[in-house]
Amino acid sequence: MPSASPSTSSGRPTDLVSRLSSSDRGVRLRALREVKNQIIGNRTKKLAYIKLGAVPAVAAVLADASDGPGPDETCNLLVQSAVALGSFACGVDAGVQAVVDAGALPQLRRLLSSPDEKVVDSGARSLKLIYQSKLAPKYDFLDHENLQFLLSLLNSKNENVTGLGASIITHSCQTSAEQRALYETGVVQKLVDLIGGSVSQRDASLESLTAIIKNNYEVTSKILEFENGRALNLINKFIIDKSPRTRLLACACLIAVRKTSSRYVEDMGLGLKLIHHLLELLEDPGQVGDEASFALSTLIEEKEDLQKLALEANAINKLCIHLQNGLSCPKRFQGILLALANICSKLEICRSKLLALQAFNLVSDALRHDCTDVRVAACICLRSLSRSVKNLSAGYFVNETVIIPLLQLLHDPSIAVQLAALGAISNIVVDFTKHNSNFIHCGGVKQLVELSMAMDPVVRSNSLWALKNLTFLADSKCKEVVLSELTASSLATLIHDPESVVQEQALALVRNLVDGCVDSIDYVFAENGVILDAMGRQLQCASKAEIGIQGMYALSNVASGSKVHKDAVMEQLFQHGGMNAQPFIMRFLHSNDNHLRTASVWVLLNLTTFCPGAAGRLQRLRNAGIISQLKSMVNDPCLDVKLRVRTTLGQCMNYGDSTI
Amino acid sequence: MPVRVVESSAPSQVSGASSGNTLPQACSLLTVGQNVSSLQNEKDEAWRVNVCIQGCDLDHGYLCGTMEALNVPMADTPVVTFWEGEIVDGKNYTFFTGKWEATPEDDIRHWTKFPSFSPLLSRVEADGGKTLDLSSYQYIFMRWKEQYFVNVGEDCGLTIAGFYYVCFSCSDGSISGFYYDPKSSPFQKLELKATNAGRSGFSFSTYEFQ
Repeated sequence: MPSASPSTSSGRPTDLVSRLSSSDRGVRLRALREVKNQIIGNRTKKLAYIKLGAVPAVAAVLADASDGPGPDETCNLLVQSAVALGSFACGVDAGVQAVVDAGALPQLRRLLSSPDEKVVDSGARSLKLIYQSKLAPKYDFLDHENLQFLLSLLNSKNENVTGLGASIITHSCQTSAEQRALYETGVVQKLVDLIGGSVSQRDASLESLTAIIKNNYEVTSKILEFENGRALNLINKFIIDKSPRTRLLACACLIAVRKTSSRYVEDMGLGLKLIHHLLELLEDPGQVGDEASFALSTLIEEKEDLQKLALEANAINKLCIHLQNGLSCPKRFQGILLALANICSKLEICRSKLLALQAFNLVSDALRHDCTDVRVAACICLRSLSRSVKNLSAGYFVNETVIIPLLQLLHDPSIAVQLAALGAISNIVVDFTKHNSNFIHCGGVKQLVELSMAMDPVVRSNSLWALKNLTFLADSKCKEVVLSELTASSLATLIHDPESVVQEQALALVRNLVDGCVDSIDYVFAENGVILDAMGRQLQCASKAEIGIQGMYALSNVASGSKVHKDAVMEQLFQHGGMNAQPFIMRFLHSNDNHLRTASVWVLLNLTTFCPGAAGRLQRLRNAGIISQLKSMVNDPCLDVKLRVRTTLGQCMNYGDSTI
Repeated sequence: MPVRVVESSAPSQVSGASSGNTLPQACSLLTVGQNVSSLQNEKDEAWRVNVCIQGCDLDHGYLCGTMEALNVPMADTPVVTFWEGEIVDGKNYTFFTGKWEATPEDDIRHWTKFPSFSPLLSRVEADGGKTLDLSSYQYIFMRWKEQYFVNVGEDCGLTIAGFYYVCFSCSDGSISGFYYDPKSSPFQKLELKATNAGRSGFSFSTYEFQ
């Protein structure tokens, strides 16, 4: 006789699971009820039963339930199995996956057309729980039958079923084609009607409307014109509803409207109203409060005017008070850090406010939080705060309490985490305090160099970005540390990286390495001039203006050296052209990009500066038609180009009559 | 044959219907990393000044950097200050200071000391300069205000209570400035030229915030 497990009075979990496959329907039903009662609200039990294979067993009960006598028993089996499956999926990713893998979704869908309302309810509720998860399968709105089915859900008299229809839209509507298809099928009209329904219908509809509006100018405009603005009036009404969840969803919907519709994008009155409501919702102790800060971030991101309004509405104070009081919920902590990051993203007054509130340590401490999302949000917040010469000069970021955890995050297996850390590091290494030795002593250069060889090109280019910033006006000690870790040949390889963003940052790094004391120019001659050669070859095939700009400034810096340096640059200008290709400098002088033309003229200005060998260099440039090209640019529409051209031509006049 | 360089005339007047950009254009000599230096004259005392531009945000008309004063009689070491600049662009800032105890008359009196300001004077007096198109003018006007001492205490014997009216030449990166502080002797001058660290030409360092 099996001994009773302390975890259940009706037998061990393995027994229960095996009883789910019993040929006796009564046994199956009792086992089902027991499993369901144990797992509801108990994540540990859910995971344990999932491991024991309970989910496919329950799905089989559901599939077989309609075959058999006894309508009551059938109904109970259907309801209990549906509820159990919904419970497995509720808040547990492994549960959602198991339900989907067990093929239970079509079975649950079948329940929606049952004549028994209890069965319909249980099917709809379970499906709604599944569709709350990202792991639920994507619903294809471009399939006609699917759209019709969705409409039938929205047209149902059953609240759970209409709610399910809305959840499916919230879950799966992503592309503009899907948004348009939903609009054209009349789904939007149904949703607007449902906003006026019960609380749950209203909330579900607001959420799904937001998904249809998001970033879609065409659909948003049509919705706003719909029945003389009925939709907008309704949504506006609910931002002052007594339910906090409704208020939040209505705000989110208006935020989507505001971001998408040009009519509303300039409406500062609406922006301010939304800021106030969201700050008030932040005080909600539950999930609404957790999510309010995310909505605030979405509202103000990239919008300097709204960030200023948020500052004036005391948003920074309110957010910092939450930080100071301690945040046990990681999601809330993440949201608040991101909201602070957004408010401080563009305006110095906002950054100063946060620092004046003594909140810097709270942000930097979050770099060591247990939850990855919080650590990433802390990096993003630090990136915003360090986007400031003033704050960098004040030395906030140079100490080890900031540097060490940031460097640790570079080891994280997630690329998103590495990139978040690299973003903050790129700013903090811009050295105005001359204390970058801390970063170097902590092994920062070694780690950045390692990441410059990463598989992911975005990681490669961001780590080179950080190295570029590190070497801005750096002394030779710092540059030597970088070059000894990186090596000239690796840098040359990065200049030829398959990705243009990596090429650009590599050339910008060279630019900084050869700036400063004139001896620095010799770095490009290391290892038989592998870096200088790579520069010339890359410039000959540069695909984007940005690469040309960095490369030409790097060449220009080399050309500001001695005769040897200037002659070496001349070689690079001419050796890569070949018989049929124009020298790249000629191509760049013809570019539409002002910065590229400017950088190119700087090379010529430096090559023709009074220095031994200038006359010879000038002759060679003249023979290549470059001086004629310059003469045609004396009235270049870009002032910077015009002035450099005139200075260069003025210099050229120093070399005898020069027959320019 | 030498190319005849035609100096540009004074900035054009912007018509009421103009929609073009009238702000000063970006200049590669007024960017981060650029260093300028020269002598500052105050009566008989002269010391060398090095300026380094550390931040530049043209959209907001903002500039910042450090100023290092060497051979200052009252100090044992070079004195470094951090300054922030306002670029007169007609959008963020005008020729009128509106603060720091500088009246519009003080403003005009100081701007007029720059020869490159004379073509602009009548428009500035008439409407504050808001109809000026500065986009093709070879000079950029700014105000620089030192915010704090970086490496010494406030009792070093130097003052940063005032601010500089500054004129930058786009063609060679040179800077002229006049210090204004109602409590100091007037029109102390700053004349700075682009430096190039022993190089034969110009060199450019760069950084970019993420």
